[in-house]
Amino acid sequence: MTGENILEIKDISVDFDGYCALLHVNVNVKRNTIHFFIGPNGAGKTTLLDIICAKTKSTGGVCMYYPKDGREIKLTGMKEYKIVKEGIGRKFQVPSMFVNLSIMENMMLSLKGHKGVLSSIFYRMSKEEEESINNVLETVGLIDKKDENAGSLAHGQKQWLEIGMQLVQKPEIIMLDEPVAGMGKPETFKTGEILKKIKESCTIIVVEHDMDFVKQIADRVTVLHEGKVLMEGDYESVLADKTVQAVYLGRGGEKNA
Amino acid sequence: MKIKNQGYNICFAVIILVLAAMPLLLSAGVITSSSFILFLGKCIAFSIVAIGLDLIWGYTGILSLGHGLYFALGGYAMAMYLKLQATNGKVTSFMQTGGFTDLPLIWKPFLCTPLAFALIMLIPVVVSGLVGYFIFKNRVKGVYFSIISQALTWAAYSLFTGLQSYTGGNVGITEMSSVLGSIKGSAHQTNMFIMFYSSLVILVVVYAVSYGLVHTKFGRLLIAIRDGENRTYFSGYKVSTYKNFIYILSAVFAAIAGEIFVNFNGSITPTQMTISYSITMVIWVAVGGRNCLVGGVIGAFLINLCDYNFSSGAMVEIWQYILGAIFVVTILFFKGGLVGIIRDQLPMAIRKVTGKEAG
Repeated sequence: MTGENILEIKDISVDFDGYCALLHVNVNVKRNTIHFFIGPNGAGKTTLLDIICAKTKSTGGVCMYYPKDGREIKLTGMKEYKIVKEGIGRKFQVPSMFVNLSIMENMMLSLKGHKGVLSSIFYRMSKEEEESINNVLETVGLIDKKDENAGSLAHGQKQWLEIGMQLVQKPEIIMLDEPVAGMGKPETFKTGEILKKIKESCTIIVVEHDMDFVKQIADRVTVLHEGKVLMEGDYESVLADKTVQAVYLGRGGEKNA
Repeated sequence: MKIKNQGYNICFAVIILVLAAMPLLLSAGVITSSSFILFLGKCIAFSIVAIGLDLIWGYTGILSLGHGLYFALGGYAMAMYLKLQATNGKVTSFMQTGGFTDLPLIWKPFLCTPLAFALIMLIPVVVSGLVGYFIFKNRVKGVYFSIISQALTWAAYSLFTGLQSYTGGNVGITEMSSVLGSIKGSAHQTNMFIMFYSSLVILVVVYAVSYGLVHTKFGRLLIAIRDGENRTYFSGYKVSTYKNFIYILSAVFAAIAGEIFVNFNGSITPTQMTISYSITMVIWVAVGGRNCLVGGVIGAFLINLCDYNFSSGAMVEIWQYILGAIFVVTILFFKGGLVGIIRDQLPMAIRKVTGKEAG
């Protein structure tokens, strides 16, 4: 029987040569929810994602991951490509895809399996895989552009492609770092609707500043401030909290609320 | 995209056909110098290096300035075998000067033909595999990789010139015939032709293998690594293994090229192991055009043809400067090399001109 937490961040600290980016952070992420990390710049949001996917090493604490099959996986100390194979995908702040490959090829490389040298040489895409790529492209609205070079996409479409690249891996957790940065209102709203659809099959962790976006889709919000957890709760309770208003929302947050 | 790729293949086929016609032209008396055929044979070897370099640099984005090392390793291994064939297994003069009365231990395996050929192929694989393993496992990349590749080549060069009694020092290993026996002079013309056509077949095979490879998922991944190494790791690939694989493959191509080179050249010297020689190889690929396999072949032939014609006579002094200038101009203004000019810049220029006329 699998518990309700898919990810447990226990007492994580990160020390960059004396600068504490994170200090004894404890967060639990529940299955099939959209979990937001918000906070002012330098609060440690991106660092926290870096810890989970092993881009950065923590100086203390552990990250535990509980996939659907009931195993317990200690993420701390694992290599990043192994973490991806276990079902945790990551989208970076700056859209990063393979600009000289077509959208179809970008998706094909993101598929699960065939990650070894020899199996990639003799790889042929199966009907099922092509279908699942088409389904994902349908979801993120890029099906008409599948043979175009990824480099030719508009900014918003790049973000969707990268979300699509995560989805086609059939992950259990996807982590999105500022997925709507630089998007207009309609695009942001559409991204929100895409994420709500995705939530049915996986857990989503988002770092974002746009409070309208948070309001639209958040199930749970963790506020970070100076490397510590300031407060955690649903959107309304976080918004109502006096300290949160003081450190973060106070600067323009009122208007958004 | 598909038509363009066919364009590369057609271009390659034309080069092969022209080369295949050369021995016939010699027989017909159109070409008078048989040494020109020997020279073209060496150019075939150079194109094979260029294809390997394009795989690792053009496709994967790893700039190796030390492939002369593998070219020379293949060359020396082949030369050790051929030299023993030429001396009937007796000690060579440089060994005698070094005080050996019996063959040194590392030369002994080359007495046995099958073992020699196994070693000729195995040595580059093992060396490049080890080097690649440690470099890529530690995620050394970019300019740091280039510097290490240079340093390694330099170290090997020092080793080979230093161990005079084993390797012939600065002079290298000389006075050998090919695996088929002598290929020089009109009496051995048949041998030369067989050697030439076999090398041509090897070039076609190397091209076909590389072409096939870059059009698989593996090939797409090489480009993915070049454009976004981080993203590739986070798509679940162990990038270092891929890099190591392509590094070994390109090293093997370089070694095969070195082996062919020795057969045509009849000698190998540490010059082939120098940094400047390794950089010259990179220039072939840059000038011909990266990222399209045939570009390297074109570059290797063009630059060596110039070299062949200019390395004697009035141009000999300034040719090196011209070569340097061509390289700099290519890197600064024509990133796609000659192929890029024909594929991208020329059509654009034509469109500009005709567009203006229409306007």
